Amino acid sequence: MMLSILFIPLLVIVGVVFYAVSIYNFLNSTKVRIKASIQEIGNQLKRQAELIPNLANATKGYMEHEQTVFTKLTDARKLISSAVDSGDVEKMLQANEQMMQAMPAIRVVLESNPELKASDLVKDLMRNLTDTSDKVSYARRLLIDLTADYNQKLVVFPSNMIANMFGFKPEVGLKTPESGQHIEVSESDTVTPQINI
Amino acid sequence: MAEIVNFYESSQKNIEKTILLIVGFIVFMIFFAYVIGGLIGDSTSLVFFAFIFSLGSSFVSYYYSDKIVLSLSKAKPVTKEEHFDFYTVVENISIGTGIPMPKLYVIDDTAMNAFATGRDKNHSAVVATTGLLSRLERSEIEGVMAHELSHIGNKDILLMSVVAVLVGTIVLVVDWVWRIRFFGGDDNNKNSNGIFLIVAVVSAIVAPIIAQVIKLAISRQREFLADATAVKFTRNPNGLISALGKLNQDSEKLEVANRATAHLYITNPFKVNSAGFGKNINLLFSTHPPIEDRITRLSNM
Repeated sequence: MMLSILFIPLLVIVGVVFYAVSIYNFLNSTKVRIKASIQEIGNQLKRQAELIPNLANATKGYMEHEQTVFTKLTDARKLISSAVDSGDVEKMLQANEQMMQAMPAIRVVLESNPELKASDLVKDLMRNLTDTSDKVSYARRLLIDLTADYNQKLVVFPSNMIANMFGFKPEVGLKTPESGQHIEVSESDTVTPQINI
Repeated sequence: MAEIVNFYESSQKNIEKTILLIVGFIVFMIFFAYVIGGLIGDSTSLVFFAFIFSLGSSFVSYYYSDKIVLSLSKAKPVTKEEHFDFYTVVENISIGTGIPMPKLYVIDDTAMNAFATGRDKNHSAVVATTGLLSRLERSEIEGVMAHELSHIGNKDILLMSVVAVLVGTIVLVVDWVWRIRFFGGDDNNKNSNGIFLIVAVVSAIVAPIIAQVIKLAISRQREFLADATAVKFTRNPNGLISALGKLNQDSEKLEVANRATAHLYITNPFKVNSAGFGKNINLLFSTHPPIEDRITRLSNM
């Protein structure tokens, strides 16, 4: 009888400690993963910022308003680079929007010059761009999922008590919803347009 | 409606089933050795040998099942340059899910199929046939690969690979005993006739048991679950739906697949849907739900 009276509170304490440790570990490891996913977004945006000027270079001979496009790209690239270094994901995506503004001009050139579009270099750059934008969206999704998991633990009882005890702050994650500004190379883009005369 | 299985439950079940399977395998081998040994008149040493052998092959199946399965399937490693879409699509899903990037292999065959193997997510491999890679578009390959990566994430791959190796071993051992009866039984006709009878009986019993084991281990639920998880990974059911549609149209048999490895593949590699003998075998070994059912479920998501 005495034993069980002592035993029950002990069991409860052990259970609570185990729970607290697991929540603490979850929150900390998720924080690390959130950082890593932001890093991944940054890496991919940097890669994209190298690919797009290359694509622009490939179309150089066909460009009419060369200079403006190229200075824009150089500026945007610098902006992305500094945003990635700052680790602020919102800044990164804003800088990226600027880079993306160059895409319509490049696309127009590609569409009006089928032989250029069919060249190995351009094809290779285009599929790398598609892949990069896929990677950005996967990394964004991971960031959104991880932030949601993390923030949920901070508000839901009883994990919020442990989070408060150790002073965990909510993660910002992604504020802006995914915009349609990505370069989407759909299947219809890669086939030559059918013209009925 | 499908019963609801969450991922934790499902992976827990996979571990339990793997242990059960290995224990069952050892028990079966010892029993088999005991029966054969009883006829030869030396059951003690044969049982001891069977125990060591089954223990050894269980160990091997745990650590090397992926390598065995890969070499049985004649799979070759790939580079990003050779198969850009295959490589990058898997890379992307890895980024999105946190599952470590598996090693990638291709089977040089025009039949369309794919599977995943390995013992855990840190030691995993994904295999696709060149037929699949050349005939599917990027978004379809993405759907198929998300299906394979969800097998890795759900810890299906260990169980499925161990099944492949252990079932293969049983088939092999039964086959050996057959041969020994034909080539080694000259001195003692009386005993070898006895062995022949027993082996015939055991073989007749073993084949359906093996089929049953594969079925038990590879519940059809697993394929539906992997399809659903794949959509959760890619958020694009259409990729997998149209890939499955194309796989369904493909009528080519995959040469390197056998009964022990068939359940690993995303769709049945034998393609025997016609009537007659083939159909019965197919039913007995049907480890895959009909593709039409899978497409219907995906379309309803």
